[in-house]
Amino acid sequence: MEPNVREALAKRTLAHSSADRTEVLVSYENAALTRFAHENVHQNVAREDAVISVRAIVGGRTGVAQTNRTDDAATRDVVERAIEMAKLAPVDPAQPDLPSGAPTATPPGAYVDATAAADANARAQMCGEFFRVAERDGLWSAGYASTAARGYTVANSNGALASFDGTTAGVNVKMSAADSTGFAESASTDVRVVDASAVAETAARKARETKAPKRVEPGPWTVILEAPAFAELLAFLGPHFSAQSYDEGSSFASGALGKTLLGENVTLRDDYAHPLALDAPFDFEGAPTQRLSLVENGIVRSVVTDSYWAHKLDMDNTGHALPAPNAYGPQPRDLVMMPGTRTTEELIASTKRGILVSRLWYVRTVDQLQAIVTGMTRDGTYLIEDGRLAGGVRNLRFNQSILEALRHCELALDLHRSTTYGYSIVTPAIKIENFAFTSTTEF
Amino acid sequence: MSFDGLARRALDTAAARGSRYTDIRFDVARTERIEVRNGVIAALADGTSSGYGIRALVDGAWGFAAGSEMTDDAIDIVAARAVSMAKAAASIARTPLGAAPDRAYVDTFATPMVRDPASVPLGERVALLLEAERLLHVGPEIAVGRAWLDLWRTDKTFYSSIGSRIEQQIRQTGSGIAAMAVGDGDAQTRSFPGDNGLYMSGGWEVVERAALRENAARIGEEARALLTAPQCPSGTFDVILGGSQVSLQIHESCGHPAELDRVMGWEANFSGTSFLEIAQLDKLKYGSEKVTIEIDNAMAGGMATCGYDDEGTKSGRSDIVRDGILVGYETSNDTARAIGRQSNGCVRAQSWEFVPMIRMCNLNLLPGDVPFDNLFDDVKDGIYMESNRSWSIDDRRLNFQFGCEIAWEVKNGKRGRMLKNPTYAGMTPQFWGSCDAIGDDLAWFPWGTPNCGKGEPMQVGRTTQAAAPARFRNVAVGVGYGA
Repeated sequence: MEPNVREALAKRTLAHSSADRTEVLVSYENAALTRFAHENVHQNVAREDAVISVRAIVGGRTGVAQTNRTDDAATRDVVERAIEMAKLAPVDPAQPDLPSGAPTATPPGAYVDATAAADANARAQMCGEFFRVAERDGLWSAGYASTAARGYTVANSNGALASFDGTTAGVNVKMSAADSTGFAESASTDVRVVDASAVAETAARKARETKAPKRVEPGPWTVILEAPAFAELLAFLGPHFSAQSYDEGSSFASGALGKTLLGENVTLRDDYAHPLALDAPFDFEGAPTQRLSLVENGIVRSVVTDSYWAHKLDMDNTGHALPAPNAYGPQPRDLVMMPGTRTTEELIASTKRGILVSRLWYVRTVDQLQAIVTGMTRDGTYLIEDGRLAGGVRNLRFNQSILEALRHCELALDLHRSTTYGYSIVTPAIKIENFAFTSTTEF
Repeated sequence: MSFDGLARRALDTAAARGSRYTDIRFDVARTERIEVRNGVIAALADGTSSGYGIRALVDGAWGFAAGSEMTDDAIDIVAARAVSMAKAAASIARTPLGAAPDRAYVDTFATPMVRDPASVPLGERVALLLEAERLLHVGPEIAVGRAWLDLWRTDKTFYSSIGSRIEQQIRQTGSGIAAMAVGDGDAQTRSFPGDNGLYMSGGWEVVERAALRENAARIGEEARALLTAPQCPSGTFDVILGGSQVSLQIHESCGHPAELDRVMGWEANFSGTSFLEIAQLDKLKYGSEKVTIEIDNAMAGGMATCGYDDEGTKSGRSDIVRDGILVGYETSNDTARAIGRQSNGCVRAQSWEFVPMIRMCNLNLLPGDVPFDNLFDDVKDGIYMESNRSWSIDDRRLNFQFGCEIAWEVKNGKRGRMLKNPTYAGMTPQFWGSCDAIGDDLAWFPWGTPNCGKGEPMQVGRTTQAAAPARFRNVAVGVGYGA
């Protein structure tokens, strides 16, 4: 669905509304994914849909309704349902006016025609590369190749009108040997730069190199988390930067703006325009999204807001609203951890004894305010001895405060965009001292 | 609305393009979410979504495509796309995996309801939540109060090229409350019922059963009390788990590893594989002889209860673990045939736009014979834990660590002081092997999980794991807080 079609649909829907204020979000997706295991495609899927979401504000009361039908009767009905819901809600005295929007510029490269045009055969070719490498090395592969085109348009009765279109292409593979596994991924807005062959070789190498994994004792270890593993930890820190959590006291940053809480080498940004991110320059209320430092040289600088929380806390609207209805508050969307000065290889070479972690799994919060999380390593966990990788180790469970980790760390130079578990986070690798492994598993 | 004409068109188009077997599933769904947060409406939303998903089988490979335009031309395009996806998969396949079902059904099913939520005025639904949330605020320490309600109404019609036509009306309902207390650098949460709320198939009677208003003040008090409760100790203890926590334990350490597609490696790159192997059927000691776990996809109130799964297999019961021995898996048509069995109807899709795949459905730990209070009798030094707060398990479902919201000491058979931040950890077979007592029928309850994630693209499944409280011996407690 082209942006001009979405805009016309949004305006047509707005025109049906008698509410004091109305916001219309039209979202479109055309996505496909080819999933495989043991060198067979077991799911080859594609879907296309458009959703209209209407937020109606009537006398300070808010209701939301959605539909995926786009005919005139459906657009009238969705507006009426939103208004009906609004009339039954209590008044929220903190409900501000809707943003009026402002011109924004989509980062170049967010939408690539080649990605949108990629078909099942193109994805099959990428998967074929994984099969070839797996069979060559006596391994088996599991993973996917995906391509998608997505777009959304926000329009409201205050004159905001903004459209964004983006594409994503990604591959993700796990190579398995008899007693070891290796993982690699790659994602871009441009399918032409996604190198399935290189990803296959990396995952296969890790599976080969970590065979016959040794058992190591849990305890405090020097670890190097490769970018996908580090991104998984950061995904659990992101919500702490919501103005809602900040205000309610459930964030480590609550009451601590301007304080040094992390290492001075830590600068964490939210930046939709980073060359590895390339996301929308506005949020789901149509407000321009600011590119800002959440943490700068260890000092907590900002939280992210939407119109509601900006008004409530008398802060600037940073343009981080999620689609209505949203009970989670504003959220960072494009975390970028600024890099250090040494490469990942140099970090490894500088480590007398440690563990290199490719990826994490099932990370969950154990303690909210200390940001203690638990989880497992997986798919390529190495022993480091005297600056060299010294074979595989059995996977370990950790219980670690992310805050403590970021107080005693060194960040690598090379940045990578991770999309493994559905988010998009740009990070380097990170070396952390006294990382708390608490148990091991059998593989 | 009848989809017969569109279905016929889709099946014919797919066949003309080379599909050996085709099915099409039409969904018309309506959802409602109401959430109150600190006295204001954080969500009051009504959504509708309708469309269809088509599966095509070519040379033993599946293709799937979904669309929402209900016209002949649009359905031709989607059917053609499904076939092209199947052909692309077949072009690189090493072995033919897919197999067409061999039974067709013409039938209907509707979730039994006592009271349709649609008959409850919206204003009344909102008012209930506002009052329940207000009652959570027992003091200034309660920084966040939440109350929520979910209603899901899905009308599905399934057609297959071998003659199935199955109409189903599925109704699922859930509600809950939670209070977060903040003070002295700590934040503690209490939720009710269980840890997610009360979710079942059915109507408004599910919300009434949750008794949110009646329990809100107690939940607020417990959240506040946790701020000053002593830290749960670390060490090895006998542990009694509340029913909703046992439910989650089953979910993570039995339900997921018993999904046969996972055993066969189909989820390997994402949610992992399984420590269970096909050759272990009827041999592996999964747990103690007290432990019997079965699927019952026709049970009253189960979130996954339906007449037929999303590839047209009839719902029923089958064993997964019997007296501690692994005896079955959760299967689809393809995977069941690979091990010489019939599908036990565990295929679900989140909605029309997602491909159906094996899901945990209604997976139940059968009750034992011990009244709840008697679970404490033989415990000299133990911990009783309720309501999950964190959950983590390795990617073969062996090494796990769970945390609960609240616990109490158990000394010489008596429940004592409240404890905060309880966690426990173990390895799945050893843990279930240490289960020496399970609560009886009176304590057994079908706990629903509304948000089980699996698959790429990710799908959210609604499942039930019925369970009673249970006792486990010599468990590592306090991990993450000094253990």
